[in-house]
Amino acid sequence: MKGKLARSTGVNQTLVATAQEAPREADLAFDRLYRSSRDDVYAYVAGLLRDGLAAEEVTATAFERAYRKRSRFDPGRGEPRAWLFGIARNAALDELRRGGRQAELTVEPADLVAASAHESAEESERRIAVSAALEALEPRQRELIALKFFADLSNAEIAAVVGVSESNAGTKLHRAITKLREACDGVL
Amino acid sequence: MESSRDDKLAATLSALRPAPRPAFAAELDERAAAGFPRQAPSGSSPLSRAVSRLRGLSPRRALLPAGATALATLVAATVIVAANGSGGGESADHVAVAPSSARSEQSTLDRLSKYRSERQVEEVLNAQPEKPGQANFDAAGPAVRSSGSVSTEASGAAVQSQIHPFSKEENPVYFDGSGSYASGAGHRDVERSAQMVLGADPTEVSDDAAKVFAAVHSAGGIVLNSSVHDGSGEFSPAANFELLIPSAKLGDALGAFSQIAEVRYRREATNDITAPTVGVSERLQDSNAKVEGLLAQLAGAESDGEREAVEAELQTERRHAATLRSRLTTLQRRANFSRVSLRIKTGESSTPSSSSGGGWSIGDALHDAGHILAIAAGVAIVGLAILGPLALIAALIWLANRARVRRGRQRALG
Repeated sequence: MKGKLARSTGVNQTLVATAQEAPREADLAFDRLYRSSRDDVYAYVAGLLRDGLAAEEVTATAFERAYRKRSRFDPGRGEPRAWLFGIARNAALDELRRGGRQAELTVEPADLVAASAHESAEESERRIAVSAALEALEPRQRELIALKFFADLSNAEIAAVVGVSESNAGTKLHRAITKLREACDGVL
Repeated sequence: MESSRDDKLAATLSALRPAPRPAFAAELDERAAAGFPRQAPSGSSPLSRAVSRLRGLSPRRALLPAGATALATLVAATVIVAANGSGGGESADHVAVAPSSARSEQSTLDRLSKYRSERQVEEVLNAQPEKPGQANFDAAGPAVRSSGSVSTEASGAAVQSQIHPFSKEENPVYFDGSGSYASGAGHRDVERSAQMVLGADPTEVSDDAAKVFAAVHSAGGIVLNSSVHDGSGEFSPAANFELLIPSAKLGDALGAFSQIAEVRYRREATNDITAPTVGVSERLQDSNAKVEGLLAQLAGAESDGEREAVEAELQTERRHAATLRSRLTTLQRRANFSRVSLRIKTGESSTPSSSSGGGWSIGDALHDAGHILAIAAGVAIVGLAILGPLALIAALIWLANRARVRRGRQRALG
């Protein structure tokens, strides 16, 4: 009788431990995703919204939504970063819709000034030129640039975020970079 | 050359990359460590907070309370429907257990009542000796025929009225309640009737029929007609009785019948016949007074012609008085005797058991389970019929809203 009880207890403990490990693993995975993507998400959202406070709010909202939906993430359907940036993109576009704004993919002047203090005149000139060229790009092209250079996503991840094929994403990105390079021809 | 320009462009773009404020990063780290606790919008109403909470629920977590709510609603609706279905009847005296079964029994008994005409009842009543203690006890049928002697008693109390067992066309003194109620009468004449169906084991029909005869005898009643079949041939075992029970002992008699076998149906009805009784009685008094007047007139007649005329009138009035007397006697006997239609049948009962029947068997349990499942299925179908279109509308609204949001997001990108 004692042996039977002991075995039963052991089985229960094993089941409880397994059940408790499952959410912990998911939490750990999300924690890793958060730590590796926090600054990238903010950079992408800030570039899209051109408003520091709004970017902070949207970044927090995006991570909160992702945290709530973490159990629904299906690794078979894509990379975790692409999934996270998809959520952040929707949150940012919702914020733009609410504000009646359109995407203005530029950095704030304060950031430019702060960064310019430690750089040479040539670098500063290049930074201003690239920023102006970025401003002149179509919003969709600016978003691709932001995803590539601010958020540091791969072409496959960009394709998953904007909902196109990888080759299509690569082509569009190439066009955007070419246009940007041509606009900055004098300073590069 | 091209590569060098690209490297410079990439380096410049990386330098333009916005970085979060350290304070914001630290705050976000804290929230991440705490599992992103939900922050209710400041100044929001409880409703908006509840909606926000519901929207934050994952489908899997929302499914459990939704399913539990749906199940609880289904169970509650099933219980309500089942309770109303079996309990909803026509009166407290009505012991029918399933509406369909009750209706079936009612129609059967109504047909029986038509076969046993009111004239037949009156004939029996008129043939009754005035002296108590003697009466016909005749049971006619394909299997059993018997006779006996019973006593009679006068009328008793009334039960809540339900139906009238006799139609207006069949009864010349039918009182439909549209005229005088004879509200001034000190004594009420109430006609009572009852219908009852007993469920018996096929092998016990004959024994139960004998018990019915004994109960009728004990109550001092009359078996107008009986038909008892023991199950031989193509007929299933069954018994039918048309009975006249002294109204004062109707309750006792019905109680005795209930003890014989399981009561599957029971119905009692009353009809106040005080007004026609009083009316006929008054007309009879008038007629008697007129006869006496004519007799006095006859005694004083001086010529043969006058005497013959008075005698003819007297003869007519006496016939009229006799008719009224007969009618009054019939009315009084209708009040004194209650008509009971009793049927013993075999087969499945609609109820698990009754006060008189046997135990609750596995078959009964399966039958009940099937009945409850049928009700539950019905409730579920009705619920789906209501919720289905609503869910479809909600799905369409959701899809339309989703498309609108997508268009809005695309538009936000320029």
